[in-house]
Amino acid sequence: MSYADTAQASVDRVIERVPPRLRVYLPLVPVMSLVGVFILYPIAQAIYSSFFDKSLLDPAGAEFVGLENYQEIVSDPDIHEVIWNTFVWVSVGSIASILIGFVIGWLLYEKIPYVSVASAIVLIPWVLPRVVGASIWKFMFGGSQGIINELLVQLGAIDQYIVMLGSTDLSLYPPIVGMIWRLAPLFALLTLTSLQGVPDKLYEAARMDGATPYEQFRYITLPMLKYPLAIGFLLMLIYNIRNFSMVWVMTTGGPGVSSSTLPVMIYRTAFVDFQVGLASALSMLLFAVLLVFSYYYIKVYNRIRGGF
Amino acid sequence: MATDTTDHPAIRRNESWLYDTRFGAILRRAILAVTGVLLGIFLLFPLYWMVATALKTTAEIQQIPPTVFPVDPSLEGFVSVIESSLQTSGLDSFVEGLLGIDISSAIDINIIGNIYNSLFVAVGAGLIAVLFGSVAAYVLSRREFWGKNGIMSLLLASLMFPGTAIMVPEWELFAALNLFNSRLGLIMLYGAMTAPFVVWLMKGFFDDFPTSIIDAAKVDQCTPYETFRYILVPMARNSLIASFIFAFLLAWNELVFALTLLDQSQFTVPPGLLTFVQGFNTQWNVVAAASILISIPVLIGLAYIQRYFVQGLTGGAVKG
Repeated sequence: MSYADTAQASVDRVIERVPPRLRVYLPLVPVMSLVGVFILYPIAQAIYSSFFDKSLLDPAGAEFVGLENYQEIVSDPDIHEVIWNTFVWVSVGSIASILIGFVIGWLLYEKIPYVSVASAIVLIPWVLPRVVGASIWKFMFGGSQGIINELLVQLGAIDQYIVMLGSTDLSLYPPIVGMIWRLAPLFALLTLTSLQGVPDKLYEAARMDGATPYEQFRYITLPMLKYPLAIGFLLMLIYNIRNFSMVWVMTTGGPGVSSSTLPVMIYRTAFVDFQVGLASALSMLLFAVLLVFSYYYIKVYNRIRGGF
Repeated sequence: MATDTTDHPAIRRNESWLYDTRFGAILRRAILAVTGVLLGIFLLFPLYWMVATALKTTAEIQQIPPTVFPVDPSLEGFVSVIESSLQTSGLDSFVEGLLGIDISSAIDINIIGNIYNSLFVAVGAGLIAVLFGSVAAYVLSRREFWGKNGIMSLLLASLMFPGTAIMVPEWELFAALNLFNSRLGLIMLYGAMTAPFVVWLMKGFFDDFPTSIIDAAKVDQCTPYETFRYILVPMARNSLIASFIFAFLLAWNELVFALTLLDQSQFTVPPGLLTFVQGFNTQWNVVAAASILISIPVLIGLAYIQRYFVQGLTGGAVKG
């Protein structure tokens, strides 16, 4: 008997021990145990840690403090600023990515030659390693040699080079621009794919019934695009609120907390200030929002696919 | 109503003055062209700038105002990346002896070492994800059982969560399991992050797979395992490769966990580049050269998975 046969036989013996009713679950065991240990357990751990005063350097010396970490979120003005920044990020970043992405997607749909090559090129900002994209934007916005300063001077918007990444008033915005650059292509491709998915037949039938272009858009294109674009909208929200690298590479969340968003603040609290408890409480905030987004994502998904 | 759907000259996509009058057509094209060019510049200029910067000399980088085209194109940046990698990894004397050249690098960046670590982690994570994910996807696609919807929802939700939301507890977990700074730990973590993704992508494939072929296999007395191994896997080859590339790219690009769960000696590409970008007195031509080197695998991957992109990103909800 070959090695493979022996292995097969011993696998069969294990399977035979499992009651037939439960055998269907066996193929799910590897995935579910990985996800359980590395994703679900940490979430539970974060809930637990958020009730403790715990240092990263001395996890054993944790002290139960009840809701103190959550009280600090409510009372700390720095954290208020971070929450406001995150709100600005997610709203400005998502809306701009969606608008720009939709226009790019529409342009690609309007009979651009070599559309698959064009859409591959459009996708490059999204697939580049995030640190690479963020580094390019840091270089473009930053320092005394930044090309964006030069561009603004040439356009007459400013008289001389200004400090952008190191300024308390401005530092929030350059990373948002970088993020729009990264996310718009994704939404563009989603738009293109959805537009291509609308059958030409529908338009023809509508025209035969005398529908105007506006009516065709309103009653055919829009309803057909509704759910795919809803998925895109949720993805934009999720990617924006989760983003860490664009901010961390460009400004490390500073100066002060002027450009910090929630994920950056979590990182700083845990790995710079070593306050694991407070960082876990901040993570809970992020969870809560992500949970809402995921709920709607699953809902829209089921609408499109008609259930799992 | 006519069922003929072929293009008929009398039926155009749109009827509007923007299409039907000469002025309208010119105006429409002009608007399209201007928006297209502006958006094209927004998307592509940063990429051009990366390439242009990589080809400049260290002196040219520091010019104010910056030069738009490299005046004196040079590969200095790329040479620096390779020299400093060799020096940091201690291979410099070997190569010096081999090629009879002198290596002395003032910077401290080991991109080639980082690329090696990344390859190791990304291939490992990709294999785990594809192996575990596709088996689970098959069952989830073909069978009905208690808890199926719960499992599917859980897997979809777990795609939204990783990264920044669980970096702190993940650090605690790695410390508890003594996995800190181990590539094996990171492989399992990335596997856990990408396997749900593979489940979704492959489930989409299995859902659309014709039942008649599977029935035929049953008639020929194939066990479910044999059907999976000898019928579905060969036919799913392309989707499996695409899944692997997706998982590979995620691991290749991931920053947060690599930064918090590894130390400098095991750094993958993203934290490796980051320490250099945030370091004192960054040489941007070297950063740009390194960026290009580490983007190459990604661009090759993109060419292959483009067809699956939207489907993959939306968990199969929207298909290309």
